[in-house]
Amino acid sequence: MFMILLVSLVGALLMPLFARMIGRGAGLVIALLPLGLLVAFIELAELVERGWVLGQGRRWAPSLGLDLTLRLDGFSFLFCLLITGIGALVIIYAGAYLTDKSRVERSRFFLLILLFMTAMLGTVLAENLLVLLIFWEATSIISFLLIGFDSRSARSRRAALMALQVTAFGGLMLLAGVLMIGHVLGTYSMAVAIDRADALAASPFGGPIVACILIAAFTKSAQFPFHFWLPNAMQAPTPASAYLHSATMVKLGIYLLARFEPVFAATSWGRATVITIACITMLVAAAQALRAESFKSALAYSTIASLGILTLLVGLDGPAATVAMVGFLLSHALYKAALFFCAGSVLHATGMQRLRPKSGLARVLPLTAVASVGASLSMAGIPPFLGFISKEFLFEAQLESSWEIAPLAAAVIVNAVMVGVAGVVTLRPFFLGRGEGSGERPIVRHGESFSLVVPPLMLALAGLIISLEPDWITRAVLRPAVAAVYRAPVNVDIAVWHGLTPMLLLSAVVVTIGALIVRFWHPIHVRLRTMDRFDTLAVERLWEETLRGLVRGSTALTEVLQHGDLRRYLLLVAIGIAGLGAWSVGNLGLFPRLPTDDPLRIAPAMVALVGLAGALAATRAASLLGAMIATGLTGFATALTFMMNGAPDLALTQFAVEVLLVVLLTALLLAVPLATAPTRTPLMRRTDAVVACGIGALLFCGIVDMAANPQASPASDFYGRASYLAAKGHNVVNVILVDFRAFDTLGETTVIAIAAVLARSLLMTRGGDVPAGRSQPVHFSFLMSGRALSWLLFAASLVILWRGHDQPGGGFVGGLVAALAFALLALAYGVDWAQRALRVNPLTLVGTGMLLALVSGLPGVAAGRPYLSHLWWEPGGWLPKLGTTMIFDLGVYLVVLGAVLTFLFGLQREAAR
Amino acid sequence: MTALYAFVGAAIVACALFMILSRNLVRVLLGLSLLATGANLLLSLVGNVRSEQPPIIADGQQTLGTAADPLAQALVLTAIVIGFALTVVLAVLVLRAWRAEHTVDSRQVDSAEALGPPQERDPTNV
Amino acid sequence: MSDALLVLTPVAVPFVGAVLALLLRERVAAARGVGMIALVTLAVLSLALFRRTAGGARLVGSVFGGWPQPFGIGFSASLPGAALVLVTALVALACAIYALSDIGPRRRRAGYDALMLAMIGAVNGAFLTDDLFNLYVWFELALISALGLLTLDRRRTQIDGAIRYAAFGMLAATFILLGIGMIYGITGTLDITRAAAALAAGSPSVGSAVAAALLLGGFALKAGLFPFHLWLPASYHTAPVTVAALFAGLLTKMGFYALLLVFAGLFGVGSGGVAAAQLVPALGLIAGATMVVCAAGALAQTDMRRLLAYHVIAQVGYMMAALALSTREGLAAAIFYMVHSIIVQANLFLGAGLIRRASGSWDLTRTGGMVRQEPLFAVLFAVPVLSLAGIPPLSGFFAKLIVIRESFDAGMAWLGAVGLLAGLMTIVSMALFWSDACWKDPRSGRTQRRLPGSALLAMAMLSAATVAIGLAPGWLWTVAQLSAKALGDLG
Repeated sequence: MFMILLVSLVGALLMPLFARMIGRGAGLVIALLPLGLLVAFIELAELVERGWVLGQGRRWAPSLGLDLTLRLDGFSFLFCLLITGIGALVIIYAGAYLTDKSRVERSRFFLLILLFMTAMLGTVLAENLLVLLIFWEATSIISFLLIGFDSRSARSRRAALMALQVTAFGGLMLLAGVLMIGHVLGTYSMAVAIDRADALAASPFGGPIVACILIAAFTKSAQFPFHFWLPNAMQAPTPASAYLHSATMVKLGIYLLARFEPVFAATSWGRATVITIACITMLVAAAQALRAESFKSALAYSTIASLGILTLLVGLDGPAATVAMVGFLLSHALYKAALFFCAGSVLHATGMQRLRPKSGLARVLPLTAVASVGASLSMAGIPPFLGFISKEFLFEAQLESSWEIAPLAAAVIVNAVMVGVAGVVTLRPFFLGRGEGSGERPIVRHGESFSLVVPPLMLALAGLIISLEPDWITRAVLRPAVAAVYRAPVNVDIAVWHGLTPMLLLSAVVVTIGALIVRFWHPIHVRLRTMDRFDTLAVERLWEETLRGLVRGSTALTEVLQHGDLRRYLLLVAIGIAGLGAWSVGNLGLFPRLPTDDPLRIAPAMVALVGLAGALAATRAASLLGAMIATGLTGFATALTFMMNGAPDLALTQFAVEVLLVVLLTALLLAVPLATAPTRTPLMRRTDAVVACGIGALLFCGIVDMAANPQASPASDFYGRASYLAAKGHNVVNVILVDFRAFDTLGETTVIAIAAVLARSLLMTRGGDVPAGRSQPVHFSFLMSGRALSWLLFAASLVILWRGHDQPGGGFVGGLVAALAFALLALAYGVDWAQRALRVNPLTLVGTGMLLALVSGLPGVAAGRPYLSHLWWEPGGWLPKLGTTMIFDLGVYLVVLGAVLTFLFGLQREAAR
Repeated sequence: MTALYAFVGAAIVACALFMILSRNLVRVLLGLSLLATGANLLLSLVGNVRSEQPPIIADGQQTLGTAADPLAQALVLTAIVIGFALTVVLAVLVLRAWRAEHTVDSRQVDSAEALGPPQERDPTNV
Repeated sequence: MSDALLVLTPVAVPFVGAVLALLLRERVAAARGVGMIALVTLAVLSLALFRRTAGGARLVGSVFGGWPQPFGIGFSASLPGAALVLVTALVALACAIYALSDIGPRRRRAGYDALMLAMIGAVNGAFLTDDLFNLYVWFELALISALGLLTLDRRRTQIDGAIRYAAFGMLAATFILLGIGMIYGITGTLDITRAAAALAAGSPSVGSAVAAALLLGGFALKAGLFPFHLWLPASYHTAPVTVAALFAGLLTKMGFYALLLVFAGLFGVGSGGVAAAQLVPALGLIAGATMVVCAAGALAQTDMRRLLAYHVIAQVGYMMAALALSTREGLAAAIFYMVHSIIVQANLFLGAGLIRRASGSWDLTRTGGMVRQEPLFAVLFAVPVLSLAGIPPLSGFFAKLIVIRESFDAGMAWLGAVGLLAGLMTIVSMALFWSDACWKDPRSGRTQRRLPGSALLAMAMLSAATVAIGLAPGWLWTVAQLSAKALGDLG
């Protein structure tokens, strides 16, 4: 079986290439693939006939419970024969049918059809439910692609989307069902699931599992209320309709239902649901079949009705129902595909789709007419065709089952309608209207060709032969199939004549009503068409409305959320954070602990409160300048606080950063209006204040609680001990930055470097770096003192850099101070002058600095130690110790200097524009 | 003292958030700068040793005596510099936005989302 | 190459490349060459790294400066990290190949190569680091390089998008920083393993509760989870499409990885940790809301980039759902989903870029005809489209299947049901996308342009990866399970 699937898949991928090369006769060549597969299956018939179940397993993803296990029993066998046999005919037919398409399109069609065949075979052969699901979904997708094959047509696209939406919904349900089965049983084996049907149904997941599987089956087999996609799917090229949407794919739902019958039968409501749905489907479809205006749609509705009958038969209990189901499955596949072929031939030859005109085409398409007659007789259940026998079984099953009269009545009506439809689709186009010389006669573009005629003829003939010569098919196909579904041997006796039975009587009734329908089709049809209620009741509308509602609702929701107002976005974020914090603390049910033994010191407290006052002032400042000054005040107060709490490095850095921020932001503030109208209403401001205070309170609680229970930090202790002895530095903070945690610093330096790249890219003036110099008015005092002061600052920055390892300072602060020196020059002499004084492009400084920082870690590697291990050289005497950390710190210095200068020059120039 | 610092830090963060929720982008920018300051102040409290001694090994000493937690300081220092870089980048962006649109009101600086409202799309009309 | 050096390369190679590209920025061809060489080298070395760690939980460690483990910054390649580094390298390489036709000299002079390499280095750094503060540094670097990439063209929309991005990003970074600082205050260490041990040994406190909330909020902002997702659809679509593909593939996933690291690793969610157990129901709610709200957001869009941006975050919702299950298998499901999603999201953006190139519009109502015009493209593009929709046998099917299955097994079937609902919405959305972009006739009057082969090659690489995962899902699942074990064993 693996070989068969593999050959099918590889063939599907390779064969279409022939279609590109060969052109016209390609169908006949490509059909060899399904024919070969058919022969391969028939070779296995002997095994199946003995009632053996062929199993094969490969490991695929055992850890996922996904094993590629296949099994071939009688029921699968029946499907495999249908798939490959009809598949071969479909391909032959398509070869002729698609002559008006380009070669590329034709080969694409063959590719899809063959892939579809593979997916179908996989579905019916799969034993592992996940594997079944995979192939099942594949059939949905390929069906989507085939319905939308004529992708320029909006109707095709709509039909394809609708089919996909419905079947993919079913697929997801199947996924859920399968996963629940796996959850309950711990295995995805279909055989195990069926064996333990009672356990499944009794588990808490029993109801959902059955519901999911039923929905999956109903969507695939177009049962009410999911039936509407199938008539639309007739937008697919006719061969695809014949294959997917009548003979094989839509029967997968029946396949699934039949397989899982024990499971849904084990629930109290399973059978009743299936039978009810089936009856509704049959009646709705029967009415619509009479309303249908075109061949294909009449056939589609009759297919839905037939699927309803099959669903009904699966739902009924008793062995006769199973026999009837298997028999009808076969006969329906044969005659319906044939009728589709005939309808396609008419469409192809005349372009005519509608049923109303009487065209008398039997003269021009005689063999097609013959095939149509044969298939229609089978569909109508006229002896001696196979359809007759299957109808007998159907009535027998109904009479034998424990169900009341309602399903039987429905079945009688539906069968009568099917007789009517069968008569109409054959008589009207082919035979009626021969004598009338009306103007409605369609133009016949071409006559019959071998490939267009043989497939329907063979199918029609098969319907006759099987019923007259039923021996082999009963032995090898039907009996094993019934046994596989019923899970016990059942005697299947196919014979045209059973004697005078109640079933025969019912058949006679059906044929009589059917004949009346044929006779009075036109008035009935016109009458039904005027009844708009069918259209308004159609679930299709409901589905479309649901879909529109979904999109409309999504749009509304998105407009509510994604409104474009940054403030409300950020407010939502703030509320979200506050909510998470409240949830987290609230659900814990603890109160924050307070630090003890922590005396208040007046001076630092005052400084801190000044910082707070600055922040408060910043929120209230009407002018942006005031807000900036107030923000700066907070920054400086924070720097002082750091200074008073044993953090001189932080203080230095914070000071330098604040000064530079003032210089840089001034450039921005020079450009924008300082006084602005309030952008928030008082209510908004109150809301914002409440949310902001909420987050503040949260942080306060967390920090206080944390500080109340200080933990020893082994890392800090280690740094204190090792800083001088191992890393040769007195200033522990700086040693951490350049040595212990140099990698953080490297990342941070890269952040600055990238910020510089970004600022450069954003502030790059068009047409080069240095624009025409424009002399800036310079204040006299600046002019006198600027140069000296900046040289002083520059020298100071080098000192700060150099001594950083032992005293407060280091690359960061050094770089910031050096940048200040240039900021001063830029203020005094203008940006251009300062930039010329620098001589190099600031970004080159950044790149060089990055390179130095990266390279400084390499000597350690060369010495066989990890990256960023620093080496020291201590010459002794008056010479200072030298280490690779200095290269690192120099790199940081250069990056900071270059980056700040990039900001500075760019911003000032941009602001001055 | 820690509680006071925690209070001041948290209050600065709250003030900063209040500014960030403004619609004036320069205020948002200043708010984010203030947020970084407040956060750094709070972050400096996570050190486990409270001391006014800077973590600098005195001359002649081999190891650090009682001093403030150096690791927390190193973290804050890194955070200060990163916050500075980000603030400046945002300032550059705001300046560009001002140049392009002559407003710093975030309601008008929204061309990124002005593709029009999401178009009414009929999913059944394809 | 020694393990210690090899672990470094995912960060070092892009950084060296970035510096060289920065210095060579005016020579466009040289910068492009540097970028390409760096990414090819990165891909080869990442593969080597992955092969050394794929066997299981074997850590390959490097401590910078050679200091003992908790004192220096630990850097190690254990499973989730090494696998993600490899996927990152793949996506970065594909995007670089795509960029050959998308990123012209002007964008390269603006620093594309340096910014891109720095961002890749930052993402890799986050995947490999063992240190919480170091993680923060990588997020900042990713943020700032992303801002640079976002504004390459200096267009108005980009500046505005970048302002939004930056405001959210800085807010998130502050929360993350405070959260990490508090973890240090509570545990006395920044090393994730030791901090996790300390948290597991202690009892939950208000401090740890606040820290957990801050970290959740901060990283959820980065990952684009509801209700913190709004910045993403407000900015991603303004970026050049190569950049958007990189963002979509990598950045949200980097944020989610941090969530995994913090919640699964640090707080021991999924291995019985109690430090943040009270937040787990919130994770589930966030996940459910993200899946549905963002799938709905995608349904409401016709601009391809915005539509895909919403899908990016809807997918993160699935990962979050897997994390919220707080089981070992759930963690594995999250990792599986991440790997799948990184590849597919990037590929979708690349495909959208080509559709735009062919039809001249980003708007789905104006695009069309790709099936007829570029059949090869249609085949390559169908792979990520179907995979996102969860169609078998592609990676997305298995990713969704695993998440939903684990939700049943973890007794949180409602989360799985929400996932199914969002899955249906995704199918509807992607089917419309396909029909609009590939089937119908384009409405814009512009003459159709041929697609560059290099761009198709880039898509083919990613599509091949998606198919490969779909054909051998068990292999990735094993990797994911080992990863989950490694994460769970941190504490």
